[in-house]
Amino acid sequence: MTAFLDGLLTALQPGNLAALLAGSLLGVFAGAMPGLSSTVGLALVLPVTFALDPTPALLMMVSIYMAAEYGGSITAIAIGVPGSSPALATTFDGYAMTRRGEAGRALGISLFSSMSGGLLGTILLVLALGPLSRAAIAFGPAEYFGLGVFGLSIVANLVGRDPLKGIISALLGLVFFLVGLDVLTGAPRLTLGTNMLMDGLGLVPMLIGFFAIAEALKAAAGGRKATAPGAGITGALPKARELFGLWRTILRGSAIGGVIGAIPGAGATIASIVAWNEERRVSKDRERFGTGVPAGIAAPEAANNSCVGAAMIPLLALGIPGSASAAVLLGGLTVQGVAPGPLLMAERAELVYALYAGFLVAVLLMLAVGRLGIPLWTRVVRLRPSILMPLVVAISLVGVFALRGNAADAWVALFFGVVGFAMLRAGYPLAPAVLGLILGPMIETNYRRALTLSSGSHTIFLESPIGLVLLALAVVSFAAPAIRNRLVSGKRQAKEQE
Amino acid sequence: MKHRPTTASSPRPEAAALSRNCEPRSASSLPRLLAVAFVLLGSAACSSRGEDAAFPSRPIEIVSWATPGGPSDLLSRALADAAPPHFGGQRVTVMTRQGGAGAAGMQYMQGRAGDPHVLGVFTASGTVNMATGRIPFAPEDFTPILRIQIDPFLVAVRDDSPFRTLGDLFEAAHARPGEVSVSGFGAASAHFLGFARLRAAAEDPDIRWIAYEGSADAVVAALGGHTDAAHTNYNVVREHLRAGTMRVLGTAMPVEALPDTPSYADQGYDLQPVHWRGVVGPPGLDPGTRSDIRTRLMAAIDDPGFQEYMERAALEFATMEDADAFGAWMAEEVTTSRDLLRRLGFLDG
Repeated sequence: MTAFLDGLLTALQPGNLAALLAGSLLGVFAGAMPGLSSTVGLALVLPVTFALDPTPALLMMVSIYMAAEYGGSITAIAIGVPGSSPALATTFDGYAMTRRGEAGRALGISLFSSMSGGLLGTILLVLALGPLSRAAIAFGPAEYFGLGVFGLSIVANLVGRDPLKGIISALLGLVFFLVGLDVLTGAPRLTLGTNMLMDGLGLVPMLIGFFAIAEALKAAAGGRKATAPGAGITGALPKARELFGLWRTILRGSAIGGVIGAIPGAGATIASIVAWNEERRVSKDRERFGTGVPAGIAAPEAANNSCVGAAMIPLLALGIPGSASAAVLLGGLTVQGVAPGPLLMAERAELVYALYAGFLVAVLLMLAVGRLGIPLWTRVVRLRPSILMPLVVAISLVGVFALRGNAADAWVALFFGVVGFAMLRAGYPLAPAVLGLILGPMIETNYRRALTLSSGSHTIFLESPIGLVLLALAVVSFAAPAIRNRLVSGKRQAKEQE
Repeated sequence: MKHRPTTASSPRPEAAALSRNCEPRSASSLPRLLAVAFVLLGSAACSSRGEDAAFPSRPIEIVSWATPGGPSDLLSRALADAAPPHFGGQRVTVMTRQGGAGAAGMQYMQGRAGDPHVLGVFTASGTVNMATGRIPFAPEDFTPILRIQIDPFLVAVRDDSPFRTLGDLFEAAHARPGEVSVSGFGAASAHFLGFARLRAAAEDPDIRWIAYEGSADAVVAALGGHTDAAHTNYNVVREHLRAGTMRVLGTAMPVEALPDTPSYADQGYDLQPVHWRGVVGPPGLDPGTRSDIRTRLMAAIDDPGFQEYMERAALEFATMEDADAFGAWMAEEVTTSRDLLRRLGFLDG
């Protein structure tokens, strides 16, 4: 405990506090800008950290990482464009609530849930560093395959009214993921002979295309009404009672984020979608999910912020970055002469405790910065679509270029914009395609990796208890909506017969 | 093993020669007007052709096409940090150009042909990608300047592995074909070829190469017991070696920090595959400019800050005698990689 208090005192020193505050501001900005993400925010400050001492450098980076996960939800809620991919699930209910005129309420719920998730993720990091890091390496090809299939099974709950169209959309996403170099053989696939498609169709260009450009096209075609007709937008924040009433949702979301976030390569995007889906599954009014339910915002936002602390588990305990952002963080640590790994806690305890305390302070700063920003964002929402949407598209295209400095990515985003617009027009939901693009690589690569390891025998999937549980969950999750419908209609028939 | 780069102390005669060439010539026999015109023409030519006379006249860009925070990106940033005093106080910035397995950044350099103010960090992965044709460039499309570092390859296992030496690993693979697995970064990659060379020296047993998206992921696979060993770089497993959670079967070259670990050669596999990184310029830099940049970079990597970065990242200095030797090395890497990939069936012909 004294070690932790020492860490807290370190984090509160003026220089360190300034680093944390700068990180929070930059993090919220990078998260909220479509195209930019916590990874880009971290990469931007990497040269700055060269000049800093290890502690402020590390603190600045963790507060960027933390704040960016909340920042992503701002644009997701205000304009329906996920500011970064982990905020994808937040668009489902967050943007729906904004369209009802309750932007302030949605942003307040997101901020409170992000803060709570961030705190719980940090507590998990402090208490479960050892055991969770061992659990993380238990994830081999068979387990990742199970996780991927489980994630994809959520499609069943995202399909909307027409299941067939939802499944076609998911398959389309799977086709898109095939583009690029095959990880296992290094051979190019569906690259149309151009080496610019070698790295595949990126998730960020797809999100920008689907949610910013396609929506703008829809608005231009007259399909998007000014937000909240008549009622106007209120910046009214949610009541404290409503926020604390969400505690079960936040705990569940944080737990899901904490576990999935600790698994290298799984990440906050998958965690937040799983959290949204699980919340929907246990909810009494699951039919209303996607129409602006508070729990539909709280669950994914708690999950993606809880992932931040959790992603530090494999990084600190094993020296293994669990996400792209953690990889940049590892680079920053390396330059500072801090080598994360099994000995870090023993050799650099003071730094680790400062990091723990830094996380807590970063969460509170995120709350302050986020709270001050809400009136500004609700004003953005009030802009007319004819002004707002072209702005969003322009900013998004700049963001997608800044991500890798590659103009081809902007073209890919435009391509997805046109595809997304056509899909919206024909009544195909977009989210399943995104899920296909995210999970396709995890499923395919690990399926083939597992079979290479087992010399082609499928029993490798049966020998993995974790993998089996995940596959069973996938079956339940996929079949549940259909079974539930059958039961409901069965009951109705029984009633009618009476 | 570690050798500090020596800083060449000679001034830059080639730059001086160039500026002398640009002195306006005397034009006494011509009318005054013509003389003035001549002077103007001469100075115009001087400023366009003889940019290197005043090199560096603008900020320097280091193009980075690698993953942010990854080892190549860190080299770019460490250079950008150490270089300014040696480049006339000009700013040195890292410019991110990712895409197409590096092709986007390389394409950008092609567009800056002859401009000494743009540099790029080139690696063993680049030459392998040239060999496979994944990137549409050849070593001739760049001006090789300075190889800087080697990131030692090694084969590591979890502490409870039955293997103690490389011989144990290969023996097991010969006894149980297809059952022994090694995880590593990428398919037909620099890591894969590094291991393939070693395996060839052990009479090509049937070992499964399990490709991962990154070196760290490959280490996780070995740590989790999903594969029998990992082929990676020293700095990725350094902490696990110190903690005793992993062991090294052999290193591609002697590593100072691992005095008791025998190298491949010590164990009878006479080869030294290396994972290197260095600096190249755009195509068409003249030899004078090239050796000028090389001299300045040599001074930059001698900086205490850069030395500290090398030490912390556990990298070995490996500057070659001159830029031509580096160029020849790059060309040879492409050829040998291509031959090996053909033999392994990754390339046709």
